[in-house]
Amino acid sequence: MAEINRSTILQTIQQYARESILPLTDAVKIAAKHNCSLRDIETIALEHCITPSRFQRNSLSCPEQLRLFRSRVAIIGCGGLGGRTAELLARIGVGHLLLTDPDIFSESNLNRQIFCNTKSLGYNKVDIVSQELLTINPALTSTPQVRHFNSSSINTADIVVDALDSTEARIELSKLCREQNIPMIHGAVKEWYGQAGIDQASSPLIQTLYTQQKGPAATPKVLPMTVSLIASIQATETCKYLLGHDSPLTGNWLQTDLRQCQFDTIPISYDI
Amino acid sequence: MQVQVKLFAFFREGRFIKEDRELPEGTSAGKVVDDLGIDREEIGVLMINSRHCQFDTTLQEGDIYAIFPVIGGG
Repeated sequence: MAEINRSTILQTIQQYARESILPLTDAVKIAAKHNCSLRDIETIALEHCITPSRFQRNSLSCPEQLRLFRSRVAIIGCGGLGGRTAELLARIGVGHLLLTDPDIFSESNLNRQIFCNTKSLGYNKVDIVSQELLTINPALTSTPQVRHFNSSSINTADIVVDALDSTEARIELSKLCREQNIPMIHGAVKEWYGQAGIDQASSPLIQTLYTQQKGPAATPKVLPMTVSLIASIQATETCKYLLGHDSPLTGNWLQTDLRQCQFDTIPISYDI
Repeated sequence: MQVQVKLFAFFREGRFIKEDRELPEGTSAGKVVDDLGIDREEIGVLMINSRHCQFDTTLQEGDIYAIFPVIGGG
């Protein structure tokens, strides 16, 4: 965008903004008037400390909001953990989500997978999630891939979310992320129990947690509350990383037990 | 010898969260798993005093032995 155009756009934004908040309908009008995207308008607004209205309740500064707006997160698996993590990241204002999952929604997903409802049964998970997230955050760029993941699923991402449901796939994803030096936020759930943490070269979490290369054969039972809890942790850790905050899960992982209401932070062992 | 055994997640069901156990000298980590009736295929991580160990690692007096299952759903 030309500099003259940017300053004209900024003047328009400043005319419409009230107490440094820019409503969505006004941002859309300004985008149409200046023949550019909603994303362009909101980027300029944030650069000048004007917050898009839908983010006004976030406890983030404009520079922090802008940082998330410019971030790219790859979510591998768009079912229970992936769908909920994607929703949370879209709501807080992450700008680009790369969603990968080969599956369609089926009845057994109804107990725990967000955007899975009786109308979306039979549709590709990534397509439904993409389309629903755009109604929550219209400036979001969402790139759905209906396929198993490969390096193209992650290589433009700042960070990867492991929302897979297989030991073998997790080990493969961890390896891909390490080759590209991209941190991976791991999450896994079963029944009332869950775990989450950060997998990276300096702390090999997946290697620690999955010592046997193959997982148990049976499909695990999973409760929706456990999915919400672990997805919340994954979304939180993703945001902390993107914002440059420290995390107590660096070098540790979180083990959760909703039956006993116990949450343990366990050090990742390096003696493997 | 006395060893504290800590169980996590669904391994706790029908068993305990943590327990001090009297064990013969030379007991291996794997023997404790077997005696608890836990299927070795369900094991995710074994740790003695916060360090990763194997089934054949020998336990010592005063060890804190943590047993974690594989949790793999998404």
